[in-house]
Amino acid sequence: MTKSVAIVGSGPSGCYLAQALLKASPGLRVDLLDSLPVPYGLVRYGVAPDHQGTKAVTRQFERLFERQGARFIGNVIVGKDISLEDLRTAYDAVVLAVGLSADRRLGIPGEELEGVVGAGALTRALYEHPDADPLPALGPHVIIMGNGNVAIDLLRLLAKTPDELAGSDLGPAPSDWLARSGISDIEIIGRSPAAQAKFDPVMVKELAKLSGVTIRVLEAGASEDPEAVKKIEALRSIDGHGSGPRRLTFRFGLTPIALEGKHGRVTEAHFRSAKGDLVALPCSAFLKAIGFETDGVLRREALIEGALDAANGVLAPGFYATGWFRRGPRGTIPENRADAQHLAARILADLNDQPSTSQKPGTVQLNGHAVVGYEGWKKIDAAETSNPPENRCRVKISTRAEMLLIARQNEDPGQ
Amino acid sequence: MNITVLYGTETGNAEMLAEDIMADLAAEHDVESRNLSDFGVEEFDRERMYLIVCSTYGDGELPASARPFAEAMETAKPDLTGIYFAIFGLGDSEYHDTFNFGSKRLAELLSASGAEQIGERPTHDACGSDMAEDLALPWARKVVELAAERLGEVA
Repeated sequence: MTKSVAIVGSGPSGCYLAQALLKASPGLRVDLLDSLPVPYGLVRYGVAPDHQGTKAVTRQFERLFERQGARFIGNVIVGKDISLEDLRTAYDAVVLAVGLSADRRLGIPGEELEGVVGAGALTRALYEHPDADPLPALGPHVIIMGNGNVAIDLLRLLAKTPDELAGSDLGPAPSDWLARSGISDIEIIGRSPAAQAKFDPVMVKELAKLSGVTIRVLEAGASEDPEAVKKIEALRSIDGHGSGPRRLTFRFGLTPIALEGKHGRVTEAHFRSAKGDLVALPCSAFLKAIGFETDGVLRREALIEGALDAANGVLAPGFYATGWFRRGPRGTIPENRADAQHLAARILADLNDQPSTSQKPGTVQLNGHAVVGYEGWKKIDAAETSNPPENRCRVKISTRAEMLLIARQNEDPGQ
Repeated sequence: MNITVLYGTETGNAEMLAEDIMADLAAEHDVESRNLSDFGVEEFDRERMYLIVCSTYGDGELPASARPFAEAMETAKPDLTGIYFAIFGLGDSEYHDTFNFGSKRLAELLSASGAEQIGERPTHDACGSDMAEDLALPWARKVVELAAERLGEVA
């Protein structure tokens, strides 16, 4: 009987896992479940809209469904529409590849003030995720706390002129919001010295293309480590760039200790420097780009702590985890590809060791719940790309209801 | 003709393209597709033609799967006289200063070892509207034809 694998999450980790499984074992049944009616997770809702080249990996993922035989089962929330237990009863192997979507907290006083916004929450709103909060008011003086690639994405998007977003898939409402933001100052602040910043140097160098900014880098420091030197040199190369009206300032070695506000809204951020000095910076918004953690739905901590072999992604026999959900919020798409390929080999070996008498059905019973398959997604995809606004390559459908409506158009009523 | 398609990849896009090229040429030729990470510099064979597909990653760097090969080329310095290769690059013009540096670097390494490049080094832009295979498949057929002439064979 055909062995079956259910992968929860159709982002890059889940898709790369399915790809590796089906490449090595073309007869396998592989189903990718997603809580959204649309696939590709972080590629659609986390990769910046002006990095379309990075999104080109979706062409590989399309082949999963179009040629390799994987099935997309969208609009199914595991833990709500179907339990994890039922899924494990239905498939020979179940893999959690749901990523980490909640913003990490700073844990300092004032974090609840209005104007203090997580990078994940803000990018979901900017990238039109159906579950996003409304776009917040930021005011003229934005602090971005954090030194990873997400922090640089936010910095770049907030700094771009409307013309610089040509060719992206940033939606009409977020584009309008950016154009009217009235931001005059953006300060990007790292707790660590520049040598230990987590961003890729190329992300920093890309900022030298911005036309409406003046960039200053304060105290980038020095290092002996070749990787750190690349980061510091990238920062030096953009220091002094431009003479535009929007001022971008990089600061390092400042640990946030408190946020102060007036009338419930943040007005000032307090830091301690490496030397122990107190530093206060005014701000009208404080964006936290300090990493991601689990949203708690699938009890990640308990699963990882009790895992049979967490280093290899084995939670329990026939139950696995990959990508950020397993490793934590570190590493780019290629690292998750390597992780997925490693896990695929392990799963195939485990399936091979299972008795061949397994009678697991390899399909889910959802009792009338509206599932969106790959065909439904292709209708949504066509609706988004057939007639985008000027200077945009796609206009995203931003609500579940509209996605479901389009996915069901011209559907065979017998299905 | 015996053809080896070698790919250097980071996200899998070059691997997919290499497989497309292999599938397209397979009707008329004996073709294999290999990851550069699994290919030793001592394996080059004058009876074969080499088609290379390579992306660029980060700040104009070679993709992960091509790095060990490049390092081995630098240390082993093999004599590749009589080896014919053609190379196709994948890149992203969003990073225009280092656009397609990966394929450029590999071409330079091979040429420096005496291998002979056939044809130009076409590049695909991930930000452009062309599909990589629409550029790469006609290129592959053409360079294979050119190589056949050089090798004195009938394509």
